[in-house]
Amino acid sequence: MEQIKEMTAQESLKLISETLNNSRRSILRNNSKGFILWGVLLTVMSLVVYFAWHATGNAVWNLLWFAMPAIGYPLSMLLYKKKDSTVPQSFVGKLLGQVWGVFGVFSLVFSALAVFVVPMPITFTIVLLLGLAESISGVILKNWPIIIGGFILGVGGAVAATLLKTDAQILLFTLGGIVLAATGLIVKCQYK
Amino acid sequence: MFPKLDPLLHSELRLAVMSILADVESADFTYLKKQTGSTSGNLSVQIDKLTSAGYIAVEKGFKGKIPCTTCRITPAGTEAFNSYVEALKEYLK
Repeated sequence: MEQIKEMTAQESLKLISETLNNSRRSILRNNSKGFILWGVLLTVMSLVVYFAWHATGNAVWNLLWFAMPAIGYPLSMLLYKKKDSTVPQSFVGKLLGQVWGVFGVFSLVFSALAVFVVPMPITFTIVLLLGLAESISGVILKNWPIIIGGFILGVGGAVAATLLKTDAQILLFTLGGIVLAATGLIVKCQYK
Repeated sequence: MFPKLDPLLHSELRLAVMSILADVESADFTYLKKQTGSTSGNLSVQIDKLTSAGYIAVEKGFKGKIPCTTCRITPAGTEAFNSYVEALKEYLK
């Protein structure tokens, strides 16, 4: 890019718009890795819990959920450290991170309270929160499939959670994981 | 009468740098170089000019053992950038 070049107003605006769009694409494409990582992790973890619970008939396998942040956060740090370490954090990316961070804290604290203090419907609540966070992400990314996907996951999942048997409810998280990973792939393609 | 365009921003590379920094908290030199497609020397010169004008702040540090220059837009830079965009819109009316 040349340093001195007379630009018209139109050229200047075009340059701003193109530079901004290219930078945003690169940053959001980088953010898509987080969605894919957590989606795959949620899918795998839910299947492990489901099959272990199903095979043994023991609900104690649900305690494995608490290992998810312990596995996910180091992996996430590793993933972002390894590649594209120069890609900065955009305001949109930061907002997405905050939404999912809040979801993570709510889910962890609520689950801990429901397991150890006051029995509460965990799957119903977490799947609703998951759908809500997903839809908010869609609003931030201005992406209708993600908004609708989150709505179906949250509301549909909450309804299904009240109808399904307890061990089968775990499969709703498998669905949630698939939706999350699909979101990552949509973002990756959208900002190619 | 058309508003005067800020001559510091009315340069292709400096404008590209400001456009990127307006959308992020901070960006390092390597990222700016990659996104603008400029040479290291040219980018350094333009970053110095923007820094002297108080439009961006530069922080030099290390990422592990590798030197790293991080740039962020200042409030004065944001104001100048917004005014520049507003002025451009006047030209196109």
